[in-house]
Amino acid sequence: MRGGAPAAAPRARLNGGGAGAVIEVRQLTKRFGAVAAVDRLSFQVKAGTVTGFLGPNGAGKTTTLRMLLGLVRPDSGQATIWGNRYADLGVWRRKVGVVLEASGFHPGRTVRDHLRVRCAATGIAFSRADAVLEVTGLDGLAGRRAAALSLGERQRLGLAAALLGNPEVLILDEPGNGLDPAGVAWLRGLLRQLANEGRTVLVSSHLLAEVAQTADQVIVIDHGRLSLSGPVSQLTTAAEQAVVVRTPRAAELRAALAAAGAAVRELAEDRLEITRADTEQVATLAAARGLPIFEITKEAGSLEDAFLTLTAGERRPG
Amino acid sequence: MNAALRAEFLKLRTTKTAAGLVGLAVAVTALMATLEAATAGTGRGMAIPSLATPAGLRDALASTGFALIAAAVLGTVITAGEFRHKTATGTYLDQSDRTRVLAAKAIAAAAAGALVGLTAAATATGIGLGFAAARGYPLALSAAIIARYGAGAVLGAGLLAAAGAGAGSLIRHQVGAIIAVFAWGFAVELIVGGTATAVAPYLPYTAAALMAGVTSGGGMPPIARGVTALPFSAAAAVLAGVAILLAAVAAATTVRRDII
Repeated sequence: MRGGAPAAAPRARLNGGGAGAVIEVRQLTKRFGAVAAVDRLSFQVKAGTVTGFLGPNGAGKTTTLRMLLGLVRPDSGQATIWGNRYADLGVWRRKVGVVLEASGFHPGRTVRDHLRVRCAATGIAFSRADAVLEVTGLDGLAGRRAAALSLGERQRLGLAAALLGNPEVLILDEPGNGLDPAGVAWLRGLLRQLANEGRTVLVSSHLLAEVAQTADQVIVIDHGRLSLSGPVSQLTTAAEQAVVVRTPRAAELRAALAAAGAAVRELAEDRLEITRADTEQVATLAAARGLPIFEITKEAGSLEDAFLTLTAGERRPG
Repeated sequence: MNAALRAEFLKLRTTKTAAGLVGLAVAVTALMATLEAATAGTGRGMAIPSLATPAGLRDALASTGFALIAAAVLGTVITAGEFRHKTATGTYLDQSDRTRVLAAKAIAAAAAGALVGLTAAATATGIGLGFAAARGYPLALSAAIIARYGAGAVLGAGLLAAAGAGAGSLIRHQVGAIIAVFAWGFAVELIVGGTATAVAPYLPYTAAALMAGVTSGGGMPPIARGVTALPFSAAAAVLAGVAILLAAVAAATTVRRDII
């Protein structure tokens, strides 16, 4: 391998960072004119975890990642990998794999040549190009020009480039964009495999389902500000739980629950969805009024519900 | 720097842009040299000097004006093309030192530009000497002068390409940068050359053209009468200075911009 692979883990050679944190963002702020794209954002990504970086379109995810990677200059605050700015990582930079956008390929350059250029720029052996083509299922397209690739194939090529340095850290910005269902399943499998190998993955998405199945942690931002940071289960907890009741006297139960301060939504003529009251409260109230209940269930809020609740502010275009 | 340079040369080899511009430069040069050589010694109102004369042979051999501009265009494409195709993101991720990237691009552009100049000069020289020999004329220029025209085309094209790389970094919009290069060659230098002959030799295209012996145009507007060529080394220094100045301004301004 030209340049050689780093012999020791970068974190052992660099300045550390927060305890167990590979990626650390502190009070990061970036304004574009009057718009605060990222506003005093702080979070950490721990070693060996898959962290979903979530937020609606325009929440500031891409700007944050670009600041982390030295492509955009922050107005204030800092973002580090292994305690260092990305620009200061030196040869360890190859241990950080990045996917930022699907369109970053010269249309006339072949898939293999694109990877070889990235190898040449980072001192990685050309043989890695063929290795990552196989991993990403692009080995049959090695001689195809980028202009002839589908969006999904371009995403795979981006992932292939990110894997060239056998990275310990992967930073992926919306890697599922343009992938068909089979591609999304493949991506999930790849992320899971990378996580099982002990790599640290930060993957941004505006589609929660895309990362919820593989992420250990989630960071949710909206309007450039942190909405939530913690395990995926915390996101589920953040979702409002509901009680669903089937009763032939729905109108009477609805009135009674409303009078007791619960929020009630009619799902069908004989089915109600109740929030702000638990199953015991609903059952006790119904019994007290002599209202028959044929079915009562507690429904956990979906991750999407929690996500929407957390990011329920004014939506931005794009 | 070595990695950045290797990557830049590989980029040039793995697309058709550089080869296409070399081919275009050779084709236009061949056309212009053939026209110059075929019509040499003819004409009534505006007599075209014969290939038997130094002026006539020079005009045929030094038909490399378009190649010089093609080299400058190649330089702009090397830098501005990164923004057109959004490959700048990957480039700056791989090499965080943007000034180093720009330097690597300028060096690669200079090498590619020199290749454009070399192929064009070889084409024009071959055609000019071929016509002269076919007509049985003795060689009207010394070998040293012919070699100097060739060297001027190579060095001039190389340095113009490096300057083009700086211009492309400043403008960043590929089409805009190419238009700017042609506008500079066809309009700005033509106007300045026609009105301020003392300044003209210090303008980059004119300096390169005079190094290469180009006077009648070679696909570009002719150099204005009364414009005197700088000494070869001084012209090269002017071109190198322009390339360094453009790169320095780009490094201090546009190269530092956010890559969004």
